[in-house]
Amino acid sequence: MTREDQILKKDRMLYTKDTLSANLVLAAIVLDALYFVSIYNSDVGTYYYNWVIGASIIYNLLFMLGAFLASEGVKNRKNGYSVMLILLGLMQIGRVFYLPTMAHEAVVTVKKEELVVMGDEQFYFVVACLVISGICCCAAAVTSYINNKTLADYVRSNEKQSA
Amino acid sequence: MAELSLQHLEKVYDNNVQAVFDFNLDVKDGELIVLVGPSGCGKSTTLRMVAGLEDITSGKMLLNGKDVTNAPAKDRDIAMVFQSYALYGHMTVYENMAFSMTLRKENPNVIHKKVLAAAEVLGLTEQLNKKPSQLSGGQRQRVAMGRAIVRNPQLFLFDEPLSNLDAKLRSATRREILLLHKRLNATMLYVTHDQTEALTLADRIVCMSMGHVQQIGTPLELYDSPANLFVASFIGLPPMNFVDVRVNQGTLVHEHFTMPLTQAEQKALAPYEGKTVVLGIRPENTRVGDEFKLKVLSNENLGMNTLVHGHIGPNGEGERITCKLAGWCDYKPGDVVSITCTRKHFFDKETTNAIPVEVEA
Repeated sequence: MTREDQILKKDRMLYTKDTLSANLVLAAIVLDALYFVSIYNSDVGTYYYNWVIGASIIYNLLFMLGAFLASEGVKNRKNGYSVMLILLGLMQIGRVFYLPTMAHEAVVTVKKEELVVMGDEQFYFVVACLVISGICCCAAAVTSYINNKTLADYVRSNEKQSA
Repeated sequence: MAELSLQHLEKVYDNNVQAVFDFNLDVKDGELIVLVGPSGCGKSTTLRMVAGLEDITSGKMLLNGKDVTNAPAKDRDIAMVFQSYALYGHMTVYENMAFSMTLRKENPNVIHKKVLAAAEVLGLTEQLNKKPSQLSGGQRQRVAMGRAIVRNPQLFLFDEPLSNLDAKLRSATRREILLLHKRLNATMLYVTHDQTEALTLADRIVCMSMGHVQQIGTPLELYDSPANLFVASFIGLPPMNFVDVRVNQGTLVHEHFTMPLTQAEQKALAPYEGKTVVLGIRPENTRVGDEFKLKVLSNENLGMNTLVHGHIGPNGEGERITCKLAGWCDYKPGDVVSITCTRKHFFDKETTNAIPVEVEA
């Protein structure tokens, strides 16, 4: 990339949205949806019917709302949303050790038959969903931060030149 | 840019309504042609046929010598600016202008350069991050023009682009289009029903009525030598006055006046001796004089001029006409003013065609 191309790329940022960061967050939302669809599809007696699943539903809603707001924020190159995305990303990864891990280790008795609540296949799938979702959030935060900083530096250098 | 040739273009809709009849026009490179006429005269249909938005029923369309009669709109390399702007409300000005090139997957840096250059030309640099809803009508229309400019098309089409703007903005945007045309030296086809736009913008005007071309010529030709009664009545504001007169031995005879003819006029009207012709008088070609009397109906002071409306004859029994007299006049309804014509136009009463009078040296 020539120097002119680099400058043009920075100049373009003045007028274009940060779609890469925004799309990464949207991907995180989709992965979260795959996670909870897989969990809620499970048919293992009454294992999930307690307050944990209620809290999980509420958290999923809050996550999707927060992530969507953050997606719009980073799309419009607003800095504060990077912090929010890091937190959301870490929370997603942290969730692996709660419901999926608990369910993977649990055994329930249905019609006098002992069943594994979450088989290996489902476990690895939901873990992958949560981890990749978390990574997407963190990656969006990092790319957004880098892009915003690049743009801020470019604007500052332009202002210096014009002064 | 481009040369456009429209040969015997016709448009017949599915319901057998014919909108355009035998339309012929050769547009030179860099020329700004204005299609003017009242609503329903076929000017927008013609433009849409050129754009490829309407099928051409018969005839031929050549763009730079290449037959594009049946080419789809996307392959014609023509950009069109609509009356309603047709901007995407959720996109910024920059995104709107870059949209067509983004779809064609052009290099983002090239798109960026073109958008910034077009924005500079149109004075939109400060507005690039705004959405269309945050812009004035004139600015929106400039964005629509910018979207056309960035494509660098062979031909620009404008379909009544100023109709949604208020009078002041229309005048300013009109000047901008004119400057833009000069700067880009682009070939442009412009449709309007506003004769002021036609006269001020056009290199040549195509005047249309009921799907037929009435006259093609420079603005001065259409104003000064209208081909027929329709063009004479359509071009000029206030419109030309028409009075039926009889040609009689070197004079024009009317119920309320007799007007002498010049040598050239006598020569032109010789075949009409004893017959009735239509005398056309532009309001601005009148002054206070002694050729006929006008009984005043109303008076409109415009500052430098006064529009005097009235009926011919001392008792106001003749045709109603409008005179544009110099200066500030204070005529009251019922006043009788003596008027002289400084320039006359003649039309055949049967064919409505103009009777050409050779200009005297």
